[in-house]
Order: sequence, then structure tokens, then C-alpha cells
Amino acid sequence: MGLLPPIGGEEVVLDRAVSYGVDRVMYASVGFTPQGVSVLFGAYELKNDLIVEGSMFADYFYMMIFTDYLVPWWLGFFALVLALISVCPIFPDFLKTGSIDVAISKPMSRVTLFLVKYLGSLLFVAIQVLVFCVIVFIAHGVRLDAWNLEIFWAVLLLTFVFSLIYCVAVLTAVLTRSTLFSLLVALLVWGVTLSIQWSESIMYKATYVMPASGMSINMKTGATNKAGEELEANAEMERFYGIVRAVGMPLPKTRDATYLLRKKVTVRGNNMTMSSAFLEDEASASELLEAKAMEDYDNRHSVAYVVGSSLAFEVFILGIACFIFVRKDF
Amino acid sequence: MSDIVIDIADVRKKYRGGVEALRGVSLQVPRGGIFGLLGPNGAGKSTLVKILTSIVRPTRCSGIMLGAPIGDKSTLARIGYLPEHARFPEYLKGGEVIRYVAGLTGISRAEAGQKAGQLLEMVGMQDWGKHKMATYSKGMKQRIGLAQALVNDPEIVFLDEPTDGVDPKGRLEMRNLLQRMRDDGRTVFINSHLLGELEMICDSVAIMDKGEIVQQGTIAELTEKSRRYELKTRGTISEELKHKLIAAGAEIGADMMSMVGSDPAPIQPMLDALRAEKITIVELREVRQSLEELFMESVGATGVGGTQKRSTPPQLPGKELVK
Repeated sequence: MGLLPPIGGEEVVLDRAVSYGVDRVMYASVGFTPQGVSVLFGAYELKNDLIVEGSMFADYFYMMIFTDYLVPWWLGFFALVLALISVCPIFPDFLKTGSIDVAISKPMSRVTLFLVKYLGSLLFVAIQVLVFCVIVFIAHGVRLDAWNLEIFWAVLLLTFVFSLIYCVAVLTAVLTRSTLFSLLVALLVWGVTLSIQWSESIMYKATYVMPASGMSINMKTGATNKAGEELEANAEMERFYGIVRAVGMPLPKTRDATYLLRKKVTVRGNNMTMSSAFLEDEASASELLEAKAMEDYDNRHSVAYVVGSSLAFEVFILGIACFIFVRKDF
Repeated sequence: MSDIVIDIADVRKKYRGGVEALRGVSLQVPRGGIFGLLGPNGAGKSTLVKILTSIVRPTRCSGIMLGAPIGDKSTLARIGYLPEHARFPEYLKGGEVIRYVAGLTGISRAEAGQKAGQLLEMVGMQDWGKHKMATYSKGMKQRIGLAQALVNDPEIVFLDEPTDGVDPKGRLEMRNLLQRMRDDGRTVFINSHLLGELEMICDSVAIMDKGEIVQQGTIAELTEKSRRYELKTRGTISEELKHKLIAAGAEIGADMMSMVGSDPAPIQPMLDALRAEKITIVELREVRQSLEELFMESVGATGVGGTQKRSTPPQLPGKELVK
């Protein structure tokens, strides 16, 4: 059985099955007809002029369900919380007296032991996401005759996002050996980083997207006004946005990293952030302006910034955890 | 090959917070026997074993184990360890635990599978190897613990309180396994406070108290000073003979006399003199301190509220001369 001990028992398999089973079936049940969209394997049909069988919009719509809803919300939030609950006990259980002693009295270095355990936990999550992606890949292929291997970027990205939260749980576990405490601290850090990312996202929209779309907002009345042309960004708002961005910079970009999938997955040659490419030919100037502003919003962070700053956070936290693990008397 | 497998000097461990667990421990463990490390709870026994197995970092340590400095990683491949209150994942099967530990020691999968089968048979768990740990009794878990400690064919096996919580039948089986290990040429290093258990199987012992070794040697060496012959008689001994016996070094009680020493030669004239006076010799036995008494004497403890001291040490099994 090698170095990797099995992690978890039947209960873990069960909660995985429940969490992933429902969404996979729901996703696979969506289909397209000449009249519109069918759900629950044709049980219901929603009429639509644009999203019909064989259209580019059907391709975009089906992929958008995956990249904008299933991955960020279902997999990237609900399923990751479940994964965290399942995987969180691995380090605290391993570090308990009577268990850790056997492992560290062996010739393997503590660093190797720590990393194998950590990567083993991530592998557990990666396998779960991979199973999900295989279903999505097959559903896409069968429904749209589009065998899009880029779907599998979700495995890498979601495992990466999970690792950003899990490293905090590992550090807490090394310090306290408590499953509950490590879970709570990980969720807390995740919550704080999400709040900051949401704040940054809202601030960016208010500072740049709205003026770029020709929209202004009256801060006293809350009324919006559409100018029909690009406006200048407010200097005060820009300054405030800069502060929020700076606060979030050293923190892990869980949400942004999840949304990187939209840059990696393409439909008919355009990635999912290229909103203007999916507009109708007869789209108005204002619609084009909005789409362009949204494209800028989706691409406001480079891949290097999102991955680099998150990775730096992970390496830092994991480095401390590993250092303590190596130096600690058990 | 050296006859000493562990030779350490001045091992110290001070934990953060100022607790001094070890205060300069020096110890020699001979090869190929069962070595018992005794001591009350908190004496530092487990800390010492954890230092030897690289689980705890010493504050100061000099010495060697199996010819390499303490803490040398490669040496760890040549030792086995069963910790106190060993915990293995409950969802693993007995055979899987052994294979998991084999993986940690760098044994190939094929060899690990083969070893697991052999060790399960050795510890009498061949019918249980495919059952989960959660279904095992405490004794069965300890047997699996012992098996995993032997998976790398170690030269030294460290066992920390191996019979703690195990029923009498399990203890007997454990003792048999330990003796088998010794017969296989391994050095068995046992940490325990169950003195009766150790007395039955240990070749040599060290007694630890408050982070220091207070006594060390074979049981025979350590109890040498307490060895004496006790003689139970019936009949009245004349005052003249009493004086002669006292002059020869005997202590005389109501119907019991004793002579300190392990040499039976000085007893012979005493027996002749008693027989000459028609005194009936009811019993003659060689006695020594038990390990428990030696331990109590070494650590200077009588227990909470205890003042009891045994006046008559138990006899050595099979050492009766006359009865």
C-alpha cells in the first residue's frame, strides 16, 4: 500500500457520493432542442430563441453553467467545505501520540513525511474533482459534440484553491493537534479572504466597470444614470479601491483562482471572459461597451498575480507548518 | 560487532517551560538480551526512548546506537518501535498496518506483503489480518503493534509499556513473543513499570527516577547485596550455639535465622552444628530482593501513606536447598 495511508472511511465516500452525485446528474440532464433548453432529461422545456440546438449560444450557455455556477459555487464552495470536513482530521489524527511516534521513528525524513501526507490529502480532493470533470466532459461531448479537454483545468484549479485553505488547517493542526480548531481556523481564514475578494470585486465594478460602461451612480439617492459613453473613474474611488486591493494582495485568491477557469476554457476559440465575442451581430453600442467593461473586469488580475500571490501565501504557511513539524517534540 | 548496542552518556532534555525530563542519563545496553527500563510515572523513561528513536530532540546527548551517533537517520532502519498507547487507523486492516509501516521503512511492496503474512502468523493473528483494526481487542492491537515493530527485521526493538492494558493471557503471550525475539538474536528494550512482568523476562535492567539512572545491571548483580540464606528450625538452640552462630555472622530470630551472602559454603558448618544439637531443620532457602523491592529501595518510595516493607523477601524460584 506504499507510503500513503488511506484517508477516511465509508462515511467520507458517502458524503462525496451525495455531494457530487446530485450536481452531476442535474448537469447531464440539461439538453438543447430546436426550440430551446430541456432540463431533467427532457421532462421540461424552456423556450428560447438564441439558446437552441447547434447554436454558439448553446455551447456558451452549457459551458457557462459549468464555469460560472457549478465550479465556483457548487464545487468551489459547497463541495470544498465538505472536502475540508473530510480531510481536516488527517493531520490531527496523524499527529496524535501513539500514531505520529511510529511514523517519525522511521528513516524517512520528516519533511518527506509531511509533504507526502499533505499531497496525499490533496490527491484525495483532486480525484473527487476529476470524477466530476469526467462526467462534465462526457456530458459536453454527448450533448454538443464538443470534446473539450480544457474542462480538466478545473481539477488543477480547484485542487489549488483547496490547498490554499487546507494549508491553514494543516498549520493549525500542527500547532494544536485539534481537528475542530483547525477546521474552524481554516474556514475563518477562508471567510476573511473571500470577504476581501468580494469587496475588491464590488469596488472594482463601482470604480471602473460602471464608468467604463457609461454608468454613473448618485451616492446620495442611489439612482443610476446611463450616459451611453465611457466615463472617467472617480479618483477618490480609485484610491479606496487601491487600499482594498493592497489589503488582499498577500492573501490567497481562492475566488479569483476559481474564476481562472473562465480564462482557460474556450468555446469556439474564445475563452469565457471574452463577453463581446458572444454578443449578437446586431448588439448595440452600449451593449458592446458593457461587454468590453466586463471583459476588463474579468481580466483585471493576471494569472501570474492570482497564482503567484496565492502560491506565496501557501508556501509561507506550509513552510511554517513544516518547520514546526520538523522541529517539534512529539 | 560490539557487544553494546546502545552506549549513551549525559543525555539531557529540558522541555520548554523548564521541565527537566532527563538530567544526564548514561546507559549501556548489551546486545541480544531483554533490557528493562524501570521507573515510576514521569521518571523520563518514554522521553529517553523517544530520544533514541529520534522522536524527541535532546537538549544534550552524546553516545552511539548500533555504532552510529544518536539521531542518525540510517540507524532508524535497523530499529523497531512500539509506542505506548499505539494508535493505528481503525479503518485499516491488520495486514495493511504492517504494510503501511513497511512502506515507511522503505521496504518494497512485494516484500512488505510477504513480511506481513509472516509477522501475522508469528503474533498469532493470521486469521485476523483481513479484519479492520476497529474490530480488534486491546491485546490484538498490541500484537499487531508488535508485528509492525518487527517489519524491518530490526536489531533493536523498543517497546514502551507493551503489556499496559493487556489481560493476563495476553501478557503471557507477549512474554513468549519477547523471549522469541531474544532467541532470534534481537535486543529488546522494554519500558515498563510492571515490575513483575520484567522480572520474569529481563536479562538486565536500569532503574530511572526523576530523570536519572539510579541503578543499572543484571538482576543478579543488582540483588547481589541482598542475597542471603534463611533457615527455619524447630527445637531449642542452646545459648552457647547461639553465640557461636552470631559470631559467624548469622542473625537469629524466634525460629528463623539468616546468613547474608550468596556463597553456600559458610552455611555448611552452621547446619552441622545445628544437627549436632538435634535441631530439626524445617526449611533452608536462598533469598534475594525482588525487583519490586529493589525498585522501591532505589527510588525511595513507599507509596502514598505506605510504610510497609517486606521483612521476608520472596524466595528465588528453583533455589530451595532444603524443604
